[in-house]
Formats: sequence, C-alpha cells, structure tokens
Amino acid sequence: MSLYLFQILNGVGLGMIYFLISVGLTIIFGLLNFVNFAHGAFYLIGSYLCFTIVSLTGNFWLALAIAPLIVAALAFLTERTLIKRAYHLPHTYHILITLGIALIIQELTISIWGPIGKSVSVPDALQGVFQMGHFYYPKYRLFVIIFAAVIAFALWLLLERTRFGALVRAGSEDTETVSLLGTHIHKLFSITFALGVGLAGLAGVLAAPIRGVHPFVGVEVLGIAFVVVVIGGMGSFTGALVGGLIVGLVQSLMTTIWPQGSSLMIYGAMAFVILLRPYGLFGRG
Amino acid sequence: MMKQKKSSLFGGVTLAALVTIIVMPLLLPSATLATEILIFAMAALACNLLLGYTGLLSFGQGIFFGGGAYVASICMIHWQFGLLEALLIAMLTGALLAGLVGALSIRRKGIYFVMLTLSFSQMAYFIAYSLSDWTGGDNGLLDIPRPPLMLLGFEVSDLVSSEAFYAFVGVLFMLIFVFARRVIHSPFGTTLVAIRENENRASAVGFSTNHFKLLAFVISGGITGIAGALYAMLLNFAPLSNIELQMSESILIMTIIGGTGSLFGSILGAGSIVLLGDILSSVWPRWMILLGIALIGVVLFMPSGLWGGVGSVADRWREYRRRKASAAKSSEVN
Repeated sequence: MSLYLFQILNGVGLGMIYFLISVGLTIIFGLLNFVNFAHGAFYLIGSYLCFTIVSLTGNFWLALAIAPLIVAALAFLTERTLIKRAYHLPHTYHILITLGIALIIQELTISIWGPIGKSVSVPDALQGVFQMGHFYYPKYRLFVIIFAAVIAFALWLLLERTRFGALVRAGSEDTETVSLLGTHIHKLFSITFALGVGLAGLAGVLAAPIRGVHPFVGVEVLGIAFVVVVIGGMGSFTGALVGGLIVGLVQSLMTTIWPQGSSLMIYGAMAFVILLRPYGLFGRG
Repeated sequence: MMKQKKSSLFGGVTLAALVTIIVMPLLLPSATLATEILIFAMAALACNLLLGYTGLLSFGQGIFFGGGAYVASICMIHWQFGLLEALLIAMLTGALLAGLVGALSIRRKGIYFVMLTLSFSQMAYFIAYSLSDWTGGDNGLLDIPRPPLMLLGFEVSDLVSSEAFYAFVGVLFMLIFVFARRVIHSPFGTTLVAIRENENRASAVGFSTNHFKLLAFVISGGITGIAGALYAMLLNFAPLSNIELQMSESILIMTIIGGTGSLFGSILGAGSIVLLGDILSSVWPRWMILLGIALIGVVLFMPSGLWGGVGSVADRWREYRRRKASAAKSSEVN
C-alpha cells in the first residue's frame, strides 16, 4: 500500500513539473497562436543553469531564483530578434523557426557542458526523508509538489485576477481587438512568451536534482508536453494541470508494473484519448 | 502556353535527376557517400509528398524509416529474405505504420496534427528501445546482410562493391522519382494540392479529404520504409538513431532546405546536408548548429528553399538580360 502511495506522490510531483512545462506552452499558444518547438530546449537551459549555479555557489535557492529569470530573458531576446519576424507567416514556419532554435540550443548546450549528463545534488535543507507514521517520503520531492502548487496558484491569480492576465485572455480570444483598444500587442507577446518559456526553465530547475541534467532530455520533454496538451486540450490552464497529472501518474505507476514501458504508456494514453475525444479532455474543438 | 511550359519543365526535372545520379559518383570521393545521399533524397522526396504537396508537416518520417530498416533487417537475418523481398516488406511496413500514424493523427488538424506525429515518433522510439531482443536496443541491429540482386532466378549482381550498390539504389531512386511525379500530376495529386491550399474548400467540393491525406501518408511511408531498408543494407547496421526524433527532423530539414513542392529540391536538400555532415562531422561534432541556422535562414529569407533559390536567381538573370536587351533597343531607337 505504501508503495502505491509513494508512487502516487511521485506521479503528482512529476505531473506538477509536466504542468509547469505545458502551461507555458499553452499560454504561448493561446495568445501568440503558435507552438514553441524550442520549449524543451529552454527547459534544458534551465536545468543546466541550475547545475552551473549549484556547482559554482553551492546554493540551490539562488539557482531557483535566478535560472528561470535568465531563461525568460533569453526567451524575450529570441522573441524580439527571431520569432517576431515570423508572425505573419503560416504556422508551419513558426514550427520550423522554433525547431531551428531548439537545434541551436541543444548543440550549444553540448558544446558548453559536454555530451554526458550531470547530476545536481539536493539542497541541504531538503536532504533526507519526511516521516509520517510508517510512511517515508523524500523531502525534496515533497517540496517540489508544494512549490509547484504555489506557483500554479500564483499563475492562476496572475491570469484570472490581474490586468495583465485579462489582456492575455482577451488577446487569446481576439488579438486584433485588443490591439485596437490601445494595448501594445507586441510587447504583450514578448512578455507572454518570456513568461511561458520561463515556466519551462523553472520546471528544468526543479527537475534537475531529481532526474539530473542531460543534453538530449529537451526532446523528451517536448514530446511529453505535447502529450499533456493533446490530452488536456490546448489553450486550457485546467487542461494542462489535469493532463500533466494524468501523464505523471501514468508514468509513475507504470514504473512499478512495467519499468521499460513507463514512457511508452503515456503515448498509449494519448492515442487512447485521441480515439475517444479527438479534441482532448478540456479542448474546445 | 503556361501549361506547356510547365510540362516541359517537369520533363526537364526528371532528366536533371537522371543526370545528377549519373554524375554524382564521379564527383564525390566515394560511391558510399553518393548512395547515402540518394537514400536520404528518397526519404526527403517522400516527406515532400506530404509537406510540399499535401501541406502535412509530419514529424513521423523517422518511424517509417526506422520501421522499414528494422523489419527488413530482421527478415533478412532471421528468415533469409532476399533483396527484393526485404525491400517489399520494408515498403509494406512503412506503409502500414504510416497508415496507423496517419489514421490517428489526421483526426486533428493543423498544429495538433504536428504535435501528434511528434508524439508518435517518440512512442516508436520507446517501442524500438524496449524491444531490444529484436532491435538490439541501444546497440542497434548488427551484421545486416546485403543480399545479391536476383531477377527471375538469375543473379544480376552480388551488390558487394559499393559502386554496384549505388547503381542499384540509383535505378530504384529513378523509379520512385518517376512514380512520385506521376502521383503528383495525377488527379489524385492535384486534389492533394487543393487540400494543401484550402482544405475546407476541397472538402466542400466533395472530396473526402481524410482519405486523400491518409493515402498520401501511406505512399510517403512506403517510400520512406524502402529508404530505411536501403540504409540498413548500406551500413550493414541499423542503429537506434534511425527511429529517433532526430531522424524525422533531419529528413524534414533536408526537405525544407531543398525546397518544398519540388521533387528535385529533395535531391538538393539531401545532397547538401549529407555532404555538409560528411565534411564537418569529423572536424566539428557540433556542426548541427549550422543546420539550425540554415533552417531559420531558409524560413525567413528563402521560403522556397535551395531549388526555389536557384529558380529565382535564374528568373533575375533572365529579367536582367531582357532589361539590358530592351535598354539596348531603346538606345538604338533614340
């Protein structure tokens, strides 16, 4: 029983990390109407920055605070210099541009940090396990669940309760009208892109002590984020949350039953959802 | 008049492909390199049928490439399949996989379609990885034979020398090239273009667009499967990277850099990237950065790819000549 509880908690933690990645993808898609194929690559930068900051200063909290901001700043620059030029093109071209960016980031990552994966140690304060009766659970993983939940709530507040959030949501419905009403739409685009990508960077930092960092994980992360948004429905905050948790739980529970097949099963789950509900669980068609 | 020009131009393209195939081994340092180019040109051609002519951006081409390579190799190793049987089974495998992936993916349009093909590509990778008894997993499938070419019970060639294998692949490539041209210029092909241009309209006119898209997928998968099997025979080895997402991306990038919507572009794209990789990969292992830059450059500045670039330079040259001629004429008049 406690084994299952353990795996369920693992799944929730994993699911929250997947949520952070996918919700960024979804926000960007909602407003800018394109899918960022470099999303996994920015996640990669986040986790490698975490590695570098931790190995230089030994301070994980610094990495948690700074790395996502650096990733967001890089995303901002990328949007300003490259992606902006493609908005008027059909969406095939957006994909190809971000694919090019992903390729460049991945290869640069390998040139800087080398092709072999690295590990990041868990911060001192969160070493060891949390005990409740006979149940033990690693403190760091518990922290990830709580921290990601706080971020998710803050993000929800940002999107639902602030002027910025209202603009993003309005822009997702009708970009032109928002622009006509006097909003500097391109600025909004850049900030939203930076926010969405920054969330992927944050996910990269949080995952680094659990899974280590590896240059080819960007592709895997992108694939998983796609599964999440296909299951949850694109452009939906709830969809990203539920989709992320489903994928995390499926993957984590499968590791107890059939370890090699755990990655496989999430794609199976996706195919299943596509057959039953082609527009995803929360998709609007 | 337009039509006539078009058909003669396309006749020229087949000729150009033939000349390229004949000249390529003479210019390149090895027939093996030339064979590799042709194999990837085949895969890019198949990708072009989807992307350039049907407007479907598929990240699943590696599934069909790797699938064809694995099944053909397994049949040759375990059941002593001959050359043509192995290629046939690779084609069927590619077509079947494409039918499956296509049938699920085309349930969604646009960006979702693209994401689905990418996810299935990841799925195929994990399947190949976990079936390591059959695929060799991370180590790849080793000792793949290259059976002799038998026709009607006679051995035409043992295909041992790389030149002989190149000739065989060249003939196969031409057959596929001509077949692809026939497909494109058939009513089926023009319907695909109609779907690319405006799917809603094509469907309103009464075409069942999903059937057309699925068939395009199946054809593309079949050709890609053959390419995968040939690649395994060329290397005598089927690495796991055949079925990785990176393979799908490479095929896609070759297609785009070469030029979508032109079959000859696929030869240019595959040729330039395979050559670039061959020259640079030993000197600079991170040469793929250049691919990323080239991809962005092509998208922003040369959307019709290398082939389109050649075309527009030729157009400008003609324009320049005409202007010069008319300037000369007008100065004469004055």
